[in-house]
Amino acid sequence: MSLVQRNSKVFRRDKTQVFFSLLSVIIVIVLYAVFLQKMQVDAIERITVATPELITMVNEWLVAGLLSMIAVTTTLGAYGIAIKDQETKAQADFLTAPLSRATIQMSYVLNALIIGSVFSFIALIGCEIFIVATGGKLLSLEHFVQVLGILFLSVLLASVFNLFLSLFVSTQNAFSTLGTIVGTVLGFLCGVYVPLGALPGFAQNLIMYFPISHTTVLLRNTFMESSIANVFKDVPASYVEDYKINFGIVYELQGNILSTSTSIIVIVGTILVLAIVSILLFKRKYK
Amino acid sequence: MTFAIKVENLCKQYGVHHAVNGISFTVEQGTLFAFLGANGAGKSTTIEILCTLLKKSSGNVTINGFKLDVSNDNAEIRKSIGVVFQQSLLDTRLTVRENILHRGRTYGLSKTQLAENYQFVSSYLHLDDIEKQKYGTLSGGQKRRADIARALIHRPTILFLDEPTTGLDPQTRQFVWQAIKQLQQETNMTVFLTTHYMEEAAVAHQVIVLKQGKIVAQGTPDALKTKYAYDSMALVFNNNIDGVKWLEDHAISYTVKQEIYTIRLDSTLHALLLLKKAEPLIASFEVIKGTMDDVFLHIMAEEGVA
Repeated sequence: MSLVQRNSKVFRRDKTQVFFSLLSVIIVIVLYAVFLQKMQVDAIERITVATPELITMVNEWLVAGLLSMIAVTTTLGAYGIAIKDQETKAQADFLTAPLSRATIQMSYVLNALIIGSVFSFIALIGCEIFIVATGGKLLSLEHFVQVLGILFLSVLLASVFNLFLSLFVSTQNAFSTLGTIVGTVLGFLCGVYVPLGALPGFAQNLIMYFPISHTTVLLRNTFMESSIANVFKDVPASYVEDYKINFGIVYELQGNILSTSTSIIVIVGTILVLAIVSILLFKRKYK
Repeated sequence: MTFAIKVENLCKQYGVHHAVNGISFTVEQGTLFAFLGANGAGKSTTIEILCTLLKKSSGNVTINGFKLDVSNDNAEIRKSIGVVFQQSLLDTRLTVRENILHRGRTYGLSKTQLAENYQFVSSYLHLDDIEKQKYGTLSGGQKRRADIARALIHRPTILFLDEPTTGLDPQTRQFVWQAIKQLQQETNMTVFLTTHYMEEAAVAHQVIVLKQGKIVAQGTPDALKTKYAYDSMALVFNNNIDGVKWLEDHAISYTVKQEIYTIRLDSTLHALLLLKKAEPLIASFEVIKGTMDDVFLHIMAEEGVA
C-alpha cells in the first residue's frame, strides 16, 4: 500500500500530468458548447417539440460520454508513473527492497484504479451539478447507484486496457505519443465527438466492437432513461428507436438491439481477457 | 573472520561478451571495500548482481549468509542491504521526508521502528534543514544526503555505494564521506564502494581493481601502493648545469619540467640520503608520496589501458 500511496501522491503533485489526462475531456466540453449540443437539438426538433427537458436529455448524453472518457484518460495518465519509474530506473530502487516486480506492477494498477475512481466520482458530482444548474433533475438513488456500478466497471476496464497498452511502452516519449493517440481516438471510438449515426457503416461497427464504448452506452441508458421517456412521450416508438441508435444510446448489430447484459458481458469479458494477456506479457517481458 | 559478502567465480555474459569474467573475492564484515576500474570494467554489473537486480550467468554469491538466487534468500538479502545508485532516483515532487518514509514502508517496518530509523539517519546526515523541501529543488549535495538516508532507512548491514560522490563539490564530498565513515565505524556496517576518486579508495580496508570483467589487482591500499606506486622527489637546483651533472654522475634518472627535476625514490627515506649528498646544490625540494592514482594508472598501463 505504501507504493500505491507514493504513486498516487506523485501523480497528484504533477499538475501538468493531471491537466493532460483531462485534456480530451476538456476538448469534448468545448466541442459540445460550440456545436455538438446544437446539432443534436436540431436533429431532435425535427421529430418533436423542443422543451427544456430536451436540453437536459442532450446534456445527459454529453455527461455519459464524458464520464466514460475520464475513466480511460485518468487511468492512462496514472500509468505514466510506471513508465517514468522504468525509464529513470526508480524501479531499480524499489527492487532493492523486498518487493517483487509483480508487486510493484500491481501498485501501478491499483493506483490507476484509485485515480480513475476518484476522478470519475468527482466528475460525476460535477456533471450532476451541471445538469441541475441547466434545469435538469438529480439522478434518482437507484440510477445513481447504477451509474456508480457502471463507473466502477468502466474504471476497471480502463485500468486493464491501459495496463495492456503500457506494457508495450518503455520510454516517456513513446508514452506521451500513446497518450495523444488514445486521447484523440477515444472521443471517436466512444461516439462522443461525432454521433454514431453520422459515421459510415464500417466506423459504426468498429465503435460497437470497441469494448470501452459499451460503458458509454450503459451510462447513456442510465442517465437518459427518464428524459427520453419525457421528451419522446408523444413520438412513435420507431422514431425513438432511430434516435437511440443514431446517438449511440443502444447498439444495433446485424439487425439486433444489444441488451444491457450483452454490454456488461462484453465489458467483463474484455477485462478478464486483457488481464490474462497482460499477465502473460508482463511475465514474458521480465522473465 | 566473518564475511559479509563472498563471491566465487562470478560470471555475467551477454551473448559472447563477458561483462564479469570469473571473479572471486570476500568482503569482511564491518569493513570498507573499494571496487575500482575504468568505465566498462564490470563494476556496476557486479554491484547490480550483488544487489539482486541482475541475474548472474554462473558462480556463487553469499551475502550475510544468504545465497543469491536461491529460493527466498533474495528477499532476505534485500532486507539487509542498502544501495546508493549513481543517479538520483527519488521523487522530485515529494519532500525528502516523504520520499524516505515511503521507501522505508516497503521494508515492512512498523510505524515506531520507521520513526526511530528516520531519526537515526537524520541525525547522521543532518536532514533537519532539508526534510520539508521537495527533492527536486535540492542541490546535488543535498540530494546525495537524501539518497544515502533512503538507502539506510531500514538500517542495512551492508551499504552499496555506486560512485556516490561523482559530481559533488569537494566540501560536500567531504561531508558525505565523513557521514559514511562515521556510520560505518559506529554501526560496524560493511561498505561496498565503487568510485573514480582514488583518495576515497585510499581509506578502504581492501581494494579490488577490475579490468574487462577480471580482477587485475587486489589488496590493502598500502600493499597496492607498495607494489604499484612509488614516492618521488622534486628538486630545484641552484645551478641547473651542476644539478644535472650530479644526477648523471650518480646515475639517477630524472624528468624535467619548468626547471623542476623529478626523480624516483626507492622509499621516503631514500630522499634523506640523496638530500644529504646533494645539499649544497639544492635550492628547494618536495617529497611526493605515491598515491592510489599512481596505483590505478600503473595497473591500467601495465594491462595496456591507460
